[in-house]
Amino acid sequence: MNQPSRLRVENLNVFYGQNQVLKNISLALPDNRITVIIGPSGCGKTTLLKSLNRLLDEQEGVRVEGRVLLDGQDIYQPGADITLIRKRMGLLSQKPQVLPMSIYDNVAFGPRLLGLRDRRVLDGLVEKYLRLAGLWDEVKNRLQEPAARLSIGQQQRLCLARGLAVEPEVILGDEPTSALDPQSSRNVETQLLSLKENYTIVLVTHILRQAKRLADYVAFLYFGELIEFGPASEVLVSPRDSRTRAYITGEIS
Amino acid sequence: MNNLPGGQNPGTLRKRLRVESFFKVLMAASALLVLVGLVLILAIILWKSLPALKLSMIIRNPGSGYYLGREGGILNAILGSLQVVFGATLLALAIALPAVVFLNSYLRRKSWLAELIRFSLDVLWGIPSIVYGAFGFLVMITFHLRASLLAGLITVAMVELPILSRALDETIKLVPPDLKETTYSLGASRWQTATRVVLRQTFPGLVTGVLMAMGRGLGDAAAVLFTAGYTDKITTSLLQPVATLPLAIFFQLNSPFPEVQQRAFASAAILTILILLISLASRSLSRRLSRHKIR
Amino acid sequence: MAIYRLSRKDRGPELATAPFAFFPIALTAVIFLALLIKSWPLLSLKSLSSLIFSTTWLPSRGHFGLWPFVLGTLWVTITAFLLAVPVSILTSLYLSEYAPARVRRVFQPVLDLLAGLPSVIYGMWGVLVVVPLVGKYLAPVFGHQSSGYSILAASLVLALMILPTIISVSVEVLNSVPLALKEAALSLGATRFEVIRYVVMKKSFPGILAACGLGLSRAFGETIAVLMVVGNVPVIPRSLFSPAYPLPALLANNYGEMMSIPGYESALNLAALLLLVIVVGFSLLARWYLVRISRRSG
Repeated sequence: MNQPSRLRVENLNVFYGQNQVLKNISLALPDNRITVIIGPSGCGKTTLLKSLNRLLDEQEGVRVEGRVLLDGQDIYQPGADITLIRKRMGLLSQKPQVLPMSIYDNVAFGPRLLGLRDRRVLDGLVEKYLRLAGLWDEVKNRLQEPAARLSIGQQQRLCLARGLAVEPEVILGDEPTSALDPQSSRNVETQLLSLKENYTIVLVTHILRQAKRLADYVAFLYFGELIEFGPASEVLVSPRDSRTRAYITGEIS
Repeated sequence: MNNLPGGQNPGTLRKRLRVESFFKVLMAASALLVLVGLVLILAIILWKSLPALKLSMIIRNPGSGYYLGREGGILNAILGSLQVVFGATLLALAIALPAVVFLNSYLRRKSWLAELIRFSLDVLWGIPSIVYGAFGFLVMITFHLRASLLAGLITVAMVELPILSRALDETIKLVPPDLKETTYSLGASRWQTATRVVLRQTFPGLVTGVLMAMGRGLGDAAAVLFTAGYTDKITTSLLQPVATLPLAIFFQLNSPFPEVQQRAFASAAILTILILLISLASRSLSRRLSRHKIR
Repeated sequence: MAIYRLSRKDRGPELATAPFAFFPIALTAVIFLALLIKSWPLLSLKSLSSLIFSTTWLPSRGHFGLWPFVLGTLWVTITAFLLAVPVSILTSLYLSEYAPARVRRVFQPVLDLLAGLPSVIYGMWGVLVVVPLVGKYLAPVFGHQSSGYSILAASLVLALMILPTIISVSVEVLNSVPLALKEAALSLGATRFEVIRYVVMKKSFPGILAACGLGLSRAFGETIAVLMVVGNVPVIPRSLFSPAYPLPALLANNYGEMMSIPGYESALNLAALLLLVIVVGFSLLARWYLVRISRRSG
């Protein structure tokens, strides 16, 4: 693979107490492409995703070994600035997690943290990112309403806009459409496809058809091990490993 | 493209991290303060009670001249408190249990009647026990009772009723609706569902609720102040006055004799140990009883 | 629920349990009426406001001004509340957001035990430790003369007493904020403290308010612990170091022994009624507020 990649995982091991959930994972995530992580539930997909922006630190009893390099810098090295690392990677979670505030404030949350106070600049940012997430036309007249009043599909796109507003380089998606109806899923998928021009996207999903629709590259995880990684056309069409084949043909799920 | 400040500006970030560390220290400090304050209470009571904490305290009644510092114990108050609290808890349970079953099985969640009952339970929960004490006294003189075990336990039952009902109501609310529906679809009536499935499912919650109410009843001085009276003997009838631990502590502490004051500390230690036992029992029982619970 | 029609075998149990469910309503009404009837003799002679706002308390001459007691209750309760709330919130935030599991395991049983500890024991601790502390050390530092039996002593004891309750409930509320929501905010580059300040606090505000309300209502009616350290002098309090005489203490010291003086019994029942009305008013307010909040965010 000759794809340039600024985000690399090297020999990553993750333990929950005595339990090893990720075993010696090494992986280079190609820039400006969508990489989809597939695998049976409980095989460590979400753990791998959360290790990329150090959200694992928030859980007790988790031990991480190995390195995750962003532009050659190990994000796990002591003294690494966690908030900056996280700012560079936006997260879309399984269920949309809107912050308990207005639609406007949700999008403005990140920029405000970074010290942006100028109302006009904020107005511009909010509009820009709501447009980018394909939500602007639906909410432009109700920006001050609580975000919780939006439909669940709109909430997920709001989360996308909010994540984009801190200008990340990477978007991490943890089954971002699993709580949505088909139409809203479609919307979110369309946004993701159009965003890959400017962002590196890593998605976890357990829906194979979604992986086929979106993936440029596919990583297959099985019981904490990275079984196969490569271009979607290869992994999904003619997998090399028998376990990958079994998963893709639906023998194991 | 990058028009955001801060990400590149280490000054802003340093300030944000300073704010964080400041509050973190403040939080940890207040937690430490709380822990020290609370542990100090226990430590001082135990330490002060040591000189007077003898076996005779728990196996003897006050002898003659006890309140002048001579021999004796507070068996009367220990037994009396238990009598009051067991009676009161039984009485409160006898009302709370059917009330909560009715509330949850025969009324719709948002019906005005259910709302009214829950609201009155909230009000009762908030009424200070001294007001129950006063009301209990009014009831007592209306029925020409004198201060007695009966009057005391009725008053304490009133204090415990809202605590128990609320605890029961909360646990029954947590029963998964699926479980009820499964039982209904087996042809069970609501009553059968409530008594055979729901109550079994909530039994651990029931036990913790009962123990919690007992703990409150055991320590409540204001409710028994006018209604239970006090006696140096062991109470053998519902119509006799009865001694209680909180009042024993209160009276002995007001004594001018240091020996008697020390016994107040010892009595407090005994009460604390009883409360501790209840709280431990509640923990271990609820763990053991939740084996059959469906989650 | 509504899809199930009551089967015939349910009529009996329904009718049998119904009266018990009405009991709480009846009890509330009867307590209120009994106290009202008992305080009527005095209320029919003097106006309610003249009884509440008069400062003269001389039962032997027929003056029953309750104002010193009302003020005493307010001073003690509010001071205790102001002392307890910031410390409780900071502590519960520490416990739920920062503390390692080890620390939490130490805290939990201590909080449980002390939330259930009888007030007479807090009162005793107050007499042993807080009263001398206030009288000998704190009062001179602030240039006051005090025996130590004072509003401050009572407030400190009360504050300590309501801390475990407020903290336990708040920690529960804080723990119910979903991890995913915190992760979402962290992913935007927020520090943990910023997540607490802008997300966790906002999400758990109603619950923490309820926890504080719980503590406040416990402080309001607390009798024995306060009575033991507050001095019980029916004067208008001038500072935190002066003694006071809250309503519950008035009742505890005099109720049941007031038959000989005309009007006295009535006055004490009025005091009990007042206490009841304050608490009920307060819980109505809390309920109204919580309903409003849940409507706005829902």
